[in-house]
Amino acid sequence: MRILAYAAAALFAAGPALAQTGGRVTLQAYAGIFKDNYTQTVLAPFTARSGTAVQYHEGGTSAQMLGTLRAQRADPQIDVVIMDVTTAAIACAEGLVERIDAATLPVIAELDDQARASGGACGPAVTYDHLVMVYDTRAVTPAPTRWAAMWDPAHRGRIALSAPPNIQGLAMTAILAHANGGSWQNLNAAMPRLREIAPAVQTFDPNPDGYTLILNDQVRFATGWNARAQLYRDQSQGRIGVVLPEEGTVFQINTINIVANSKNRAQALALAAHALSADAQKAFTERMFYGPTNARAQVSPEAMARTALAPEFRSRVIPLDWTEMVRLRDGWNQRWRREVISASGR
Amino acid sequence: MIGLLLCLPAALILGLGFVWPVALLARISLNRTTDMGAMEEAFSLETMAKLVEDDFTWELAWNTATLSATCGAIAVALALPVALLIRSAPPQWRGLLSLMAVAPLLVSSTARIVGWMAILGDRGMINAVLAWIGVVDDPVRLINNWTGVRIGLTESLMPYACLVLIAGLGRLDSRLEEAAATLGATRTKTFLRVTLPLAAPALAAAFLLVFVLGVSAFVTPRLMGGGRVFVVATEIFDLALETVDWPAAAAMAMLLLGSLGLAMALRGLVAKVAR
Repeated sequence: MRILAYAAAALFAAGPALAQTGGRVTLQAYAGIFKDNYTQTVLAPFTARSGTAVQYHEGGTSAQMLGTLRAQRADPQIDVVIMDVTTAAIACAEGLVERIDAATLPVIAELDDQARASGGACGPAVTYDHLVMVYDTRAVTPAPTRWAAMWDPAHRGRIALSAPPNIQGLAMTAILAHANGGSWQNLNAAMPRLREIAPAVQTFDPNPDGYTLILNDQVRFATGWNARAQLYRDQSQGRIGVVLPEEGTVFQINTINIVANSKNRAQALALAAHALSADAQKAFTERMFYGPTNARAQVSPEAMARTALAPEFRSRVIPLDWTEMVRLRDGWNQRWRREVISASGR
Repeated sequence: MIGLLLCLPAALILGLGFVWPVALLARISLNRTTDMGAMEEAFSLETMAKLVEDDFTWELAWNTATLSATCGAIAVALALPVALLIRSAPPQWRGLLSLMAVAPLLVSSTARIVGWMAILGDRGMINAVLAWIGVVDDPVRLINNWTGVRIGLTESLMPYACLVLIAGLGRLDSRLEEAAATLGATRTKTFLRVTLPLAAPALAAAFLLVFVLGVSAFVTPRLMGGGRVFVVATEIFDLALETVDWPAAAAMAMLLLGSLGLAMALRGLVAKVAR
């Protein structure tokens, strides 16, 4: 009897993840290697434990996912969505996703403070990624440790940077502003450095991405997101180098949200609970090097060392508020176009 | 009555495939975007007014118009000799030559641009040859700038110009050129005084078509511009998919559509007056 009581208590504490079984749920998230790895490390175990089939809808970029949610507002076909925090904030403000708290999703109590706060009233953070400098290890020696390495005249014409409104461009600008002026909002502190590097930049719109341009021997330096960069590093047998530079980095945060008026709400909550659980967070971090948002996740030291949450890197993370960035974005975009890109003189 | 009924399927397709989406776009352009990026339902011209008042919108319009006009004119100029050659070729060869002229259309524009990247890139074929023969030390910048976009766009527009010119020149009465030659006109004079004036409507139609295609071109400026080339289509993409400002993206698309409509109407008016 006592065992049964413990089992019931455990079941209750675990929330909807175990309480709901069967049925199906549709998740909208990123395509490609994110889908492959997320399916193997998070969704397959969820299906095995709950009996709920997960249909993975490849959403493209976060903006495209928001477009899908807007188009399906009257008749949602998606139940759960994983998207960038700024786009998720828009979806939250437009009522496209549910407001959610620890009473509805108890696992939220296990998340770190930033993960709880970043979703606002809606879904919490499910992954942390961060901006890194990627470089060609064959062409750049010794291994660079600072963003400043890109300003070396030896690499003129061999640099790929993303310009705003792309968020990598915004993130890079914020890091330079912080490094040169003490505050990430201080655009004036970043502009001289950006104008200085502009003529050395081959492209402000790396296509298909910086990693590929390095592998194709087109550029030596680019910016990238850590999780993908780490995978490309492994896949290229170390040709691509990944650095979290000393000047700092910023998080790119993905949140998980329940779509408003979801047709499979119980299963959606169960999936979100599982995705945020310590086990799922550990598995995904060890596979793809996204930082875990669940403070109880026992990630191996080797995997943690390749995220920004490693003890030696934590102090380098600049506390950027993406909601505020959205307000600043237009002004930054204009100044980039008028002062940086126009100075690139190619 | 039968005529109207026969038009119904086409009208339905046009209505569903063009009029309805454009109407939706027009509706979205009347919405507002809040400071934090959310879209608010509204019936306001605020977004449109903001765009019109912004100098950058006019810079985009100028960039787009000049790029399309330049590339369109070059494409037509390059397509004209091709069309003339096909016209003068033996009838049994014309089909094959026409097919060759428009063959690039059989390949996806993205694939063609990837090819251009390999040719024009800083470490591409042309720069490799120039470096090998010792003409340059630093790569010549042929891509990730306006030069690259002009080359790529001209190439992508040429098959359309060929298509229109082959059809237009095919209808010219060759006896008029023969008469000019019989009366002593040189080949150059015949071309300038007879062929070219007769081909003028086809040339105008070809230019109009490639100009319109150039104005709405997105893939070439995006992939070959290296983030340095700003035209209306790339801006609409950024507004819709980077900043998620749908009302502004829709308003800009409506402005583009309106401008093109106006240009077409003016062209019709000019043609009417000229007749």
